[in-house]
Formats: sequence, structure tokens, C-alpha cells
Amino acid sequence: MTNLAGVPYYILEFGDELVYFTPYTITLFLLALTFTIFVLISMPERQVDIAFGGDAYTTKVISVSEMRFRRFMAIACGLASMGAMVTGDIFNFTLFTAMVGITNVGIVAAVKSPHVQNAAYQYGLVALSATVPLFGGAAIYAAATGSLSMIELAKGALPAVPFVAKAFLVLGVIGEGMAPFYAAKAEMFRAPGAPYVIMCSLSSLLIFLRVIEVVMLG
Amino acid sequence: MWGQYSYGILVVLVAGVIAFFALAIETDDLHRFLLLDLVEITALGVIALLGTDLAEALILPGLTVGIAEQLALSQIYCTKERIMQNPVKGLNIEVIAKADAPLIISMFLVVYGLILSGFTGGGVAGLGLVFFFMSRGYREDLNLLEMASGISWALWIFAFFCFMFLPQYWFIALMCAAVGIVLKVTVKMSLVGTMWGNGND
Repeated sequence: MTNLAGVPYYILEFGDELVYFTPYTITLFLLALTFTIFVLISMPERQVDIAFGGDAYTTKVISVSEMRFRRFMAIACGLASMGAMVTGDIFNFTLFTAMVGITNVGIVAAVKSPHVQNAAYQYGLVALSATVPLFGGAAIYAAATGSLSMIELAKGALPAVPFVAKAFLVLGVIGEGMAPFYAAKAEMFRAPGAPYVIMCSLSSLLIFLRVIEVVMLG
Repeated sequence: MWGQYSYGILVVLVAGVIAFFALAIETDDLHRFLLLDLVEITALGVIALLGTDLAEALILPGLTVGIAEQLALSQIYCTKERIMQNPVKGLNIEVIAKADAPLIISMFLVVYGLILSGFTGGGVAGLGLVFFFMSRGYREDLNLLEMASGISWALWIFAFFCFMFLPQYWFIALMCAAVGIVLKVTVKMSLVGTMWGNGND
């Protein structure tokens, strides 16, 4: 249990479904928690459009219903990220990652701008197809080792995890909003409303930091 | 077993590659969305290859997440293409609306569902009712159906408490759970049938 990013402080067991806190995961968890609280209490920014060639500028108006929906989605995204940070089960990790993908789309989907809608749709297509390697990877984990528990995998007593399973898992996480597919998300950031949109980036970053730990197991 | 698994995963991966290839060369947004459904099935195929109870337990959340993403995407597609303005008004097929066939088919499904009981039975019976309501353009006060659904849900929960605290009465709890879930799923699915279109709201 040495390569589990530190010795777990606490393991909460529900049978197979376990949650554990190591120095690494608790840091990520607290980051997600803090940012979710920020989202909960903050008001959205009002994006400023400046007309070139003059002094004129306008601020975009965000309706209350739109703000409520986006805030709800941002909080849901924070909760899903927190779940992905502390879970000790590979399949739960993939489910939380997929949930982060959905909520990322949801955060910007309420915006009525056609550019944003289109970008959210294209990103949604990528995120949805990324669930294939994501769930596939988790299933190969289970098939090869007979266990989905990260604690069991970290003990080293199980058969080695095939490389393809790890590759699938990372590919799935990348598809849910990391580097090469980030281009689709960048266009979504035309959506006004700073704290909510930043939740998209933060959740992807946290998930990626966690998957590095996950693939180092077993 | 390992040999069979290897062959199986090879077949699924080939299917996945074909599906992703189709996705890559398709340019129409709606077609790509429909192809995604096919792509998604290969993920379920990989999970199903485990061939154990665990696979069954993993397919359900996998499927649910996939469907949730598809629903979200379809909503975005509708908003994006501005097709929210013309709502669907049920299946206006004259032949189905007048013939006796929908009645007979849905009665068969309901009876068969009641015999099956449980979650599957509820699904089958509900499908029968959905088909009937959709073909007849039936309008009903939804509150009553919702109440029936709630009561059967409570029955199901009661059965679970019985299992936990009074295990010696397991048989009555089993019956309550089976009846509760069959009613619950049936009613929920028939609500889907009546909510088709914009009849009551």
C-alpha cells in the first residue's frame, strides 16, 4: 500500500465500495470542495463587450433562471469531482468522470448563444464517445484482475493490470475534457459567467490528477 | 475462459473501430448523434464480456449514464437547431387509431407482465400501456396515475423495511415488493405514454 499516494488516513468501507483519504486525494478533495463553496456563494460575472473604434461597451445580462440552472450544474459538477477524488473503486471513478462530462455540457448549455450551443454539442459528442474507452477500461480491469477495488490493486497480490486497460482509462479521461479535445471546450468559454465556466476546467484538471494516481496502481 | 474472453474482446473492439470510423467520416450532426448510440453499445459489450453478476451490476449504471448524456445532448440539439417550436402531437396514424390490434397487443403485454411480476414484468406491462395510450391519443388526469405510482413506491419501501427488521415475514415482504415494483414501473412507463405531446399542459 505504499504506492497509493501516501498511507490512507481513513478508509470508509461499504463492502466492496470503499472511499479512502490519502494525503494526495484529500488535497484534491478539499480543492474541489472549496471551489464548490465559492460557486455556491458567488454571483456570475457580467461579460463586457467592447465595440471597436469607439468608447462604447455593453455588459451582457444573465437572467435569474439561467443563472440558477448554471449554478446548479456547477455544484453538481463539483460534487461529481469530489466523488471522483475520494472513491476507491475503479468503476465508480469512471462513472463520476462521465458525470463530470455531462455537467460540463450542462454548465454552458443554458446559454442562448448559438456559438456556445454548437460548441457544447460538439464537446458532448466527444464526451459521450469517450465513455466507451472509459467503461471499457474499467471492465478490462475487472476481467484481468478480478477486482475493481483500488486498495486491493495497490496491495500487489493480484495479477498485473494489462497496459491496454490503463491506456483506455486515460484515453477516456482525456476525452472527457483534457488536452487534445480541449479545443471544443475553449469555444464553450464564450459563455459568460466566470465562476461556473471555470468549474469546467477545474473539474477536468482534478480528474486528470486523479487518473494519474489510478493508473499507477496494480 | 480466458481464450473465449480474448476472442470476444477482439470482436467488440473491431465493432468499436468500425463504429468510430463511421463517426469520423459522418458530417451531419443528427446522424453523428445517432451513430453515437451504436458506439455506446460497444462499451456495454466490453462490460458484458465479464460474464458474471458483476457485469450485470455494472451495465445498469453504464447504460444510465449513457442515456443521461444522450438526453442532454438531444436537448442541446433541439435548442441549437431551434426545433422546440413545433412539438410532436403523438402518433397520428389513422390505421392504428381505429383498429382493434393495439388493444389486443397491449392487453397481451399487460397480462404477460403481471405474470412475470417484478421489474421486468412492470417494464413489459408498462410497454403495453404506453403503446395503447400512444396509439389512441388517450388523455387522462395524470395526478391519479402519479398517486398510484407513489403509493406503489411506498409499498416497495415498506417491503424493504420488512426485509431488514422483520426477516421472518420475508414472504409477505417479497410479495409486497413484487407487486409494488410491477405497479410502479407500469405506471411510470404509462405516464411516458400519456405525456407524449402537449395534451394537458
